[in-house]
Amino acid sequence: MDRQVSLVRAEVVENRELVPGVFLLRARGNFSAQPGQFYLVRAWGLDPPLFRPFSAFDLSQEGISFLYAIRGRGTSLLARLQPGHSLTLLGPLGNGWPQPEGKLALVGGGVGIAPLYLAAKAFREADAYLGFPGRPYLVEKFREVAGRVWVASERGQGGHRGSVTEIFTPDGYRVCYACGPREMLARLWEMCRRAGVWLYVSLEERMACGLGACLGCTVFTRSGPQRVCREGPVFPAQEVF
Amino acid sequence: MPDTSVRIGSLVLKNPVLAASGTFGFGGDYARLYDVSRLGGIVSKAITLRPRAGNPPPRLWETPCGLLNSIGLENPGLEAFLAEELPRMRELGTAVIVNVWGEDPEEYGELVSRLSLPGVDAIELNLSCPNVRGKGLVGENPEATARVVAVCRRATDKDLWVKFPPQGEVLQAARAAQQAGATAISAANTYRGLAIELETGRPVFANAIGGLSGPAIKPLSLRLVYELSQVVSLPVIGSGGIVSWQDAVEFIMAGAHAVQVGTGNFIDPLCAPKLVRGLRKFLVQRGLGSWELIRGCAHRGGISGAA
Ligand SMILES: Cc1cc2nc3c(=O)[nH]c(=O)nc-3n(C[C@H](O)[C@H](O)[C@H](O)COP(=O)(O)O)c2cc1C
Ligand code: FES
Repeated sequence: MDRQVSLVRAEVVENRELVPGVFLLRARGNFSAQPGQFYLVRAWGLDPPLFRPFSAFDLSQEGISFLYAIRGRGTSLLARLQPGHSLTLLGPLGNGWPQPEGKLALVGGGVGIAPLYLAAKAFREADAYLGFPGRPYLVEKFREVAGRVWVASERGQGGHRGSVTEIFTPDGYRVCYACGPREMLARLWEMCRRAGVWLYVSLEERMACGLGACLGCTVFTRSGPQRVCREGPVFPAQEVF
Repeated sequence: MPDTSVRIGSLVLKNPVLAASGTFGFGGDYARLYDVSRLGGIVSKAITLRPRAGNPPPRLWETPCGLLNSIGLENPGLEAFLAEELPRMRELGTAVIVNVWGEDPEEYGELVSRLSLPGVDAIELNLSCPNVRGKGLVGENPEATARVVAVCRRATDKDLWVKFPPQGEVLQAARAAQQAGATAISAANTYRGLAIELETGRPVFANAIGGLSGPAIKPLSLRLVYELSQVVSLPVIGSGGIVSWQDAVEFIMAGAHAVQVGTGNFIDPLCAPKLVRGLRKFLVQRGLGSWELIRGCAHRGGISGAA
C-alpha cells in the first residue's frame, strides 16, 4: 500500500543564514517524515513553475526544518522569507534510509548533510563525517545526537583541512549513508567497495511532480530507469555507480 | 444543478477536466494525494509497443512561466501496461484514455488493436512527441496524419483522439484526421524549444530540443484551439498552459469541449480538482445549465445577451 502524501501550508518560524548563502528554514506544523525522506517546497506563485525538493533536516513537536543553499531562482526566493510568511509543502516523499544493520557511518558534503541529521537521531551511535567548502555549520547539533563527529573543510576550520573523504575510513563500519557532490559519492563508493562496506547514497535530481508521475527525475541504474522521487532518493551505491 | 458533463464521441465525461498525458503517470501517484475520481478523466503516459528507457538527465528545465521537458517517452511498454497499470487505472473511478506513440502507422495500428479492451474509454494517438531524436512529427503533416489515423480506424472500434503538435500544418492535418475517421482533436502538445547552458555552450538536454509547456504557452495554444474549432466539426480537447478555471473557460469559449491539465499539476498538485470545482461554480453563478451556450461563443460575438 502506498503511503499517503499531503499538501499543506505552513508558517515560517525562522529562516536563518548559517554561513553566507546557506540557510536553515523552520516551519510550524505537524510533520512525520522518515529519515532520508524529502518534501517539495514552494513559496511563490506561477514562476518558477516547479517546487524545490529538500530533505527533512529535523523534525520536532513544533515543526520541520530544511537546510538549503542559494543556487537559483527558487532558493533565492526562499532566502527572502521572514517569520510569519507561509510555505507550501508536499510530502513526505521518497523512500528514506533503510534500517541500518551494524555499525553506521554518515558522510555528508555541504548541504548534503541535510538528510543525515534525522538519521543520526534515529539510528543512535552512528558516527558522522561532515565536509564543508567554507565555515562549518550545524556541527554542534550533530554532536548532540551522533556517536563521534569528524569535520573537514577547505581551509581547515573546525577540524581537518581538506575533503571529507580524507578523514573517513570505512574500517570498522558495516554500512555508510552518504549525501553530497557526485565526485564525493564516487570516491566513497571506491573506498566502501574495497572495504566491503554497504554504501547507500541520497541522490538529487530536478523534479516536477515529486510523486512518481512525470518521470522528470529518472536516473539510469543497474536495474533500469528509476525515479529519484519514488524508488529513491536513497539508492544502494552499486546500483548507481 | 448545472450539467457539467461533456460528450466526446461515444464517451460522456462527468466534467471537462482531464489530466494530460505524461504529467499524471497512470493516475495512482496523484491518488495518494486526492480522490482522482473527481476528474473528468485521466490520459495515461504515452505507451509504446516495447518498453523505453527515455532520455538521460536532465529532463526538466524551467523557463519564465514555462517548463521544457525531454522525457523521451519512458514507459513500461504495452505488455506491462496491460498487465499492471491498466487494471489499476480502471479502479480510479474516472474515464481512462490511453495515449500511444508508434514508430510507424503499423505500430500505431497494433497498439490500438491490442488496446481494444473493456475499460479503455478512448485512445489518444500521440502524433506530437517532440522528444524522440530524428523523427519528424507526424501531426505536422496532413498526409502522414491521415495514414496513421486510417490504419488505426481500421484496427479498432474505440474512440480515437488525435493529439497534435502546435507547429506545422496542423489545421490541414486536423481536417485530414477528421476525414480518416478520428473522433476528436486534442491540441496541443508542447512547443519545440531549446535552452543552452552558458558555462558549456551546449544545449542543456542530450537531445538538444525539448518541449515547452506551462503558462508561457497558453495564448498560443488557445489561439490554435480557436482556429481548429473553426476548421473541424469534431470535438476539440484543449491543452497548453491551463492552470486556473478561468483559463479553462477561455478554452471552452474558444471552442473546446474539454481541457487537459499538464504542467498545472506541477505548479499546484491540486490544480485539476480545483478546476473541476471552479468550473461548476462558474456555471452556477452564470445561471448556465450546461456548457452548450458558451462553448465556442468567442466565434459568435460572445455570450448571447451579455452587455
Ligand atoms: C513532463 C511532460 C511529459 C509529457 N508527456 C507526454 C506524453 O507522454 N504524451 C503526450 O501526448 N503528451 C505529453 N506531454 C504533453 C502534455 O500532455 C500537454 O499536452 C502539454 O504539456 C501542454 O499542456 P500544459 O501546458 O498544461 O502542460 C508531456 C508534457 C510534460 C510537461
Ligand atoms: S519528479 Fe515526477 S516522477 Fe519524480
